Amino acid sequence: MSYQAPVFLLLFFPLTLLCYQLTPQRHRWKTLLGASYLFFWSISGKLLLFLVLSTFSIHHFGLWLDSIRRDADAAIRAAEKPERKALKEARKHKMRGVLAAGILLQLGTLLCLKYANFFGANVNLIFRGLGMAEVIPTFQWMLPIGISFYTMQAVSYLTDVYRGTITADRSLGRLALYMGFFPQLMEGPICRYSQTAEALFAGSPIRYDALTRGAQRMLYGLFKKMVIADRLNVFVNTIFTHYQEQKGPVILLGMLAYTCQLYMDFSGIMDMVMGMGEIFGVRMPENFRRPFFSKSISEFWTRWHITLGAWFRDYIYYPLSLSGPLKKTTSACRKRLGNHFGPLVAGTIALFCVWFCNGLWHGAAWSYLFFGMYHFFFIVLANLTEPFTRKVLDALHIQRDKGWYRIFRILRTAGIVCVGELFFRANGLKAGLSMFHKMVTDFSLPSLEELALGIDRYDVLILVVAVGIVLMVSILQEQNIPLRKKLSAAPTPLRWSVYYAAIMAVIIFGAYGVGYVPVEPMYAGF
Amino acid sequence: MEKLLEILEAIQPDADYETCTTLVTDNYLDSLAILSLVAELEEEFDIEIPTVEIVPANFNSAQSIWSMIQRLEEE
Repeated sequence: MSYQAPVFLLLFFPLTLLCYQLTPQRHRWKTLLGASYLFFWSISGKLLLFLVLSTFSIHHFGLWLDSIRRDADAAIRAAEKPERKALKEARKHKMRGVLAAGILLQLGTLLCLKYANFFGANVNLIFRGLGMAEVIPTFQWMLPIGISFYTMQAVSYLTDVYRGTITADRSLGRLALYMGFFPQLMEGPICRYSQTAEALFAGSPIRYDALTRGAQRMLYGLFKKMVIADRLNVFVNTIFTHYQEQKGPVILLGMLAYTCQLYMDFSGIMDMVMGMGEIFGVRMPENFRRPFFSKSISEFWTRWHITLGAWFRDYIYYPLSLSGPLKKTTSACRKRLGNHFGPLVAGTIALFCVWFCNGLWHGAAWSYLFFGMYHFFFIVLANLTEPFTRKVLDALHIQRDKGWYRIFRILRTAGIVCVGELFFRANGLKAGLSMFHKMVTDFSLPSLEELALGIDRYDVLILVVAVGIVLMVSILQEQNIPLRKKLSAAPTPLRWSVYYAAIMAVIIFGAYGVGYVPVEPMYAGF
Repeated sequence: MEKLLEILEAIQPDADYETCTTLVTDNYLDSLAILSLVAELEEEFDIEIPTVEIVPANFNSAQSIWSMIQRLEEE
């Protein structure tokens, strides 16, 4: 059951809304939790046990961390000033141990289920290369849906309790709902406990304005997903599966089509998720902010899958780059290399770890690791060349955020991203390299028949119009025009004309039925 | 506060620290500048800035940085 499936949209979601509204307010969280576990069960069956165990585990470790802090704080308050430092150190040491054990349990499960075979296969490869027998067996494990997402939420919860930014939750139910809320279960966003737990537990009644606003956003998401992403599916699949038979420009088109498809699919699902949350009175953090208007790769990652980038920043980048040894490195390097290059050493080491993890998070394959390192390379390159770029632009009197140079930066960033997505989608690193090679060496123009890979003129026309609409909306949003507010305030006939047009567009132009294969929710597998 | 302004000027001379309240939001202080700043502040003011303090609200203006330093000095 995916979010755009009729059984979800026409049965599961409306029934959940109805049950939720009919339940007394203080018990509504139970309805949401029941619906969430039912949703999980419908996709992953008894693997639901992993989510339950994960929830029990963070509940226990959270309370443990809190009790250590409470006891230690009492002792610190009672102690004389000279002893306090030692007591604080002891508290830190003990809490770190518990945090490490809690995180290890979460990540250990993820590593075993998702990465064991990848690492095993590579170790076996080395052994085979040395002429020895394979040592690591292969396992056929099923992955619980959304494990990469809820594991990150679990780690953030424990770390935030450790840091003292939140207190551990005594309510197992609230924690279970935070971990398993069905709209965000499959593809995120990765929420922090402080962002959603209270609202989820509050059981606010569904109000008319929230219902219409939420439905409005869900409809827009459905439009992106069904009219654009799903319609591009056959075209993209054909090119990436039979890339050997394609000419360079066709592969280029396939790369652009896939990037567009991935964005429309993921951001479309996110619109639906946000809309669902809005209806229940839960405001989740945004995951997209018009990423293709970014002027650099660093900026792109603050606009694309925002909650993932923020997670890596808060739980890997800063803790690593501000850890004792790297902090000392920064201080020492600043004195020798100056303010720009000084922090680059520590920053780059931390950035490498972030992108290594980011690549692996997307999947246990070399192509994903390559994807991570690819983005790492461009971010480091931009950091290294920044002083030089600045000097050149100053000398030429070019303003980097204005005029043609701004457009050049946006197009350059989009180009780099698209090539990255080619490797991301290709069936393995070897295929990705081969496709890239063909794209930059084979310029023979394809005939119209060679371009008709599962789509016809009618499809192209629908795609152009639909992408044009999304682009127009994005440009207006980029100019801070509050479109949704304006639409909500519009006269009823106009407002409902827009809604009906969108509904009809999804029904008439949505890609479903015979001849179409909907895109599997791409990020659900990560 | 004067010492703090000196440090900030040395790390990022382009910002107007008297008035600017969006140092992080407007990217005057990027993640690398934050690394530099944290290392320098810890050394200069003999404080420890934990990761949990690295949030835009604490670094968006010279005043907010100064408030954070004073708070950490007291702890």
